[in-house]
Amino acid sequence: MSWQGELNKYLASAYKNWIISRRNIFTVFELFFWPMISLLSIGLLTRFLKVEGSMVSFLLVGAIALTILQVAQIDVAYVLLFDMWSKSIKNTFIAPVHSYHLIFGASLFGILRGSVVFFILAIVSRYLFGFNFQEGGLLPVLIFLAGVFAMAVVIGITVCISILTFGQKADVAAWSLSGLILLVSGIYYPVEVLPPVLQVLARALPLTYFLEYYRSIFIPGPHHLAMGAFLAAFYLGLGLILLDHAIERARKTGILLRLSE
Amino acid sequence: MTEKSVEAKGICKSYKSFFGTAARVLENISLDIETGEIFGLLGPNGSGKTTLISIFSTLIYPERGSLFILGMDARRDKGEIRKAVNISTAKPNFPWSLTVKENLRHYGMLYGLYGSALSRTVEDQIDAFELGEFRDMKFENLSTGLKQRLSLAKAMLNSPRLLFLDEPTTGLDPDMSIRTRMLIKRIHQEQNISVVLSTHDMPEAEMLCDRIAFLRKGQIVAMDTPRNLKKHLGLGERVVVSYEGLADIAALESLPGILGIKAKMGRVEIVMDRSADSLDRIIKLFCDARILDIVIKEPDLEDVFLELAR
Ligand SMILES: Nc1ncnc2c1ncn2[C@@H]1O[C@H](COP(=O)(O)OP(=O)(O)O)[C@@H](O)[C@H]1O
Ligand SMILES: [Mg+2]
Repeated sequence: MSWQGELNKYLASAYKNWIISRRNIFTVFELFFWPMISLLSIGLLTRFLKVEGSMVSFLLVGAIALTILQVAQIDVAYVLLFDMWSKSIKNTFIAPVHSYHLIFGASLFGILRGSVVFFILAIVSRYLFGFNFQEGGLLPVLIFLAGVFAMAVVIGITVCISILTFGQKADVAAWSLSGLILLVSGIYYPVEVLPPVLQVLARALPLTYFLEYYRSIFIPGPHHLAMGAFLAAFYLGLGLILLDHAIERARKTGILLRLSE
Repeated sequence: MTEKSVEAKGICKSYKSFFGTAARVLENISLDIETGEIFGLLGPNGSGKTTLISIFSTLIYPERGSLFILGMDARRDKGEIRKAVNISTAKPNFPWSLTVKENLRHYGMLYGLYGSALSRTVEDQIDAFELGEFRDMKFENLSTGLKQRLSLAKAMLNSPRLLFLDEPTTGLDPDMSIRTRMLIKRIHQEQNISVVLSTHDMPEAEMLCDRIAFLRKGQIVAMDTPRNLKKHLGLGERVVVSYEGLADIAALESLPGILGIKAKMGRVEIVMDRSADSLDRIIKLFCDARILDIVIKEPDLEDVFLELAR
C-alpha cells in the first residue's frame, strides 16, 4: 500500500473524532467550561490562602496539567467509546487496521484539543494570576506538554484495554485511573509529602518527572527528565502491545460482538 | 485451479464469559463455498448465523477447525483477508452524528483509500446505492432502509472479492426488502463477487442463493441448492382449507406443484410450490363444499427444522 493510503488509516480516527466533537455540544464544556472552572477555583484558592509568587505557579502548573491531561485522554478513549456507544465496533475491526492506527489518529486529535485548552488556560492565568508559562522559553513548555500528552495517551489506551477485556462497564474503572494519577503524581503538592508506598508509585509515573521538570523553572529544584521520557516511551510501547493483545483476545472470546449489541 | 471463497473444516466456537463458563454455539461446521456463488445461511434466531459469518470474515476467531478464505489461511493471513472481504452487519450501525458521506469517507480511510480515489469511491457508492439525496443526512436520522443501504455501500468501499451480508433485509418493509434483494443480485452480477448471506426468510434464500445451508443449534442440518432442498424436504407453501361438506381431495394429487397433502375431517393442508399458479384450480375442487377459511402460509422454518431434526 502507498504511504498516503497508510497515512489515511492513521488519520481515520482523527477525522471521525473531529466531526463528532464538532457536532457535540459537550465539546464546549470539555474545552472551555470545565477547564476554566478548575483554573479559576485553584487560582482563587491561592489568593484566599495568600500563596506567594512561585507557589502560585506551582499550583497553576498542576491545575493546567490535570486539565489538559483529562481533555486529551478522553479523546484517545473516544476512539473505542464512540464505536461502542454507536454499536459500530464491528465495522472498525473488520477493516485491515491495527491498534496503532486507531490510537495514533485519536491521539493526534487529543493533542490538538489539549493544546488549545493549554493555550487558553495559559493566557487566562497570565492575566488573572500573573503566571508566565513561558518563563523558561518555549522548549520547556513543549517538553512539558509532550510529557502530559504521553501520559494522556497511556491512560486512553488503558481505558480501551479495559473495555475490550471486561466489557462496556469497564470504562468507569478506567476513569478512576486519572483520579489516582491526580493523587500520586504530585499535581498539587510535591511527591515527598506522600506516604512512602505512594511515592514508589509516583516514581513509576512519567507525569511526576515532567511536572518536576517544568516546575523547576519556577522553583529551582532537582528533576530527572530522562527518566520521565524513558518511562513515557516504555508505557506507550507496552500499552500498544497490550492493546493489540486485548483486541486479539476480544476476537477469541467474542466480546467484540457483544460490544456492538 | 479456481480457489474457493470459503473452505471450512470442523469449525467449533463457544463464547466464554469472563468467569470461564462456556456455551457451545457452533458445532463442527464444515463447508466449501465456490467462487462466484451466493451462499445462504438459513436458520432461526440464535442458530449461529452471525457467529459463523463473523468467523468467516475474521472478525472473531474459531476455537477449533481449519479455515481458508479466498485461498488464504484465516489464522496466518488475517490482514490480507481483511483487505479482500467486507461485511454488512445485521442491524447496521454507524457513528450517529456522521453523515452518509462522512461515514463512507471515514471507513474508506480505514481501508487505506486517499485523495481523489477516496472521493471517487465514496461518490460511486453513493450513486450505486441511490443515497445521493441523503448524502448530508446524519446517520441517526436515516430510516432503517437507508441505514441498510449505507451499510451495503460501506461494504463495497474496498471492492471486496467476498462479501458477507448478515440479515440484509430483516426489519425492512416488504417493498424495501425487495429493492434490497435486487440490489444484492445486481452487485453480485456486476462486480462478479462471491456473497455469503444469512437470513431467516425462506423465500429470500430461495430467490438469491445458489446454495443454502440450514443451520440449527449451531449445526448444519442440510445443505444443497434451493431446488433440491425443496424437493427432498417437501418445502413449499402451505395452503390450509377448512370446509363443510364434500370435496374431491383425491383430485388434488394430480394438480401441478403439489408436494404433499394432509387431510382431516373438514380440513386439508396442501404443501405446494407456487400456490398462486393453481389456487383457482384448488378452489374449484371445493365447489360442492362450503369453504370456511383459506390460509396460505410461507413454509415455516421451525417446522422444517423439527422435520430435519428427526
Ligand atoms: N458475543 C457473544 N457472547 C456470548 N454469547 C453469544 C454472543 N453472540 C451470540 N451468542 C449466543 O450464541 C448463539 C448464536 O448466536 P448468533 O450467532 O447471533 O445466532 P443468529 O445470528 O443465528 O441469531 C445464541 O445463543 C447467542 O445468545
Ligand atoms: Mg444474527
